[in-house]
Amino acid sequence: MSEESLKDFVYDNVVIGETLGTYSYVLTEEMLDTFRKAVEDPEARFPTLGVKHDATAFAMVYDDKVGTVNAGNEVEFFNPPIPGKKIIVTGKIQDKYTKRDNPYIVIEATAEDEDGRLIEKLRTYQIKKPEVLGKKWQK
Amino acid sequence: MAEIKIDDVLPSVSKTITQEKIELFEDCGILDRQNIHNNPEIARERLKFDHPIASGRMSVTYAAEIIRKFVGEDAFHHSGTVNLKYLKPLIQGDTVNVSGTVVATEEIDTGLLVTINIQCENQNGEKTAIGQGTAVVK
Repeated sequence: MSEESLKDFVYDNVVIGETLGTYSYVLTEEMLDTFRKAVEDPEARFPTLGVKHDATAFAMVYDDKVGTVNAGNEVEFFNPPIPGKKIIVTGKIQDKYTKRDNPYIVIEATAEDEDGRLIEKLRTYQIKKPEVLGKKWQK
Repeated sequence: MAEIKIDDVLPSVSKTITQEKIELFEDCGILDRQNIHNNPEIARERLKFDHPIASGRMSVTYAAEIIRKFVGEDAFHHSGTVNLKYLKPLIQGDTVNVSGTVVATEEIDTGLLVTINIQCENQNGEKTAIGQGTAVVK
């Protein structure tokens, strides 16, 4: 996707429930191998975690110049993806809130394969003030 | 499989973080994105960190590994969950130990729902992530 077609991310303009659209890709054996090497687990079956479905959905819609840090993740696993199959991902802004004066959004992505098998549901809690966590983590 | 009980301790895993592994994880993505994980300048600009940090999702994957090995592939792959809150980032050179303890079991229609407390700790004994995982064991 060209950057010209992306919307500038403005926290105040984000609406809870806002759709981030749908995209698809083919999960390859190479992606699975790369993932397994990255996490040193030859039996790992969800390379979709490395694809970061929700963050990808967000990045396909928004140009976020501030950046983000993940404060947490919630993942539900339903069926391991099969290499060679197309994965279809739908994303949305699931929540938005302020905690200790810091702005958060929650992005949710649901993935199924081309046969309609539910693969994974993923939520990410993102703090849209990365320097705050950076400062806290340096202590 | 032996009966799963409250206070059962899961076999832990220990992973040494390298920049190569951090970048391999990023390479799984379908967008060619520069970020705080694979670009030191962006990590410095946004986090004031000297090094890129590992994606928190790597810790999710480690947690998934210990739960899968404990409850079995079939149970985890079709009913597993992992919820983690990140407390401190992992960077190259860190070693993270991921451990878990069963804190609840409940008979439900589809089997035994097992709830596990997860803890990720670095080589200095600092917690880097905490949370819970679940799976239904038939």
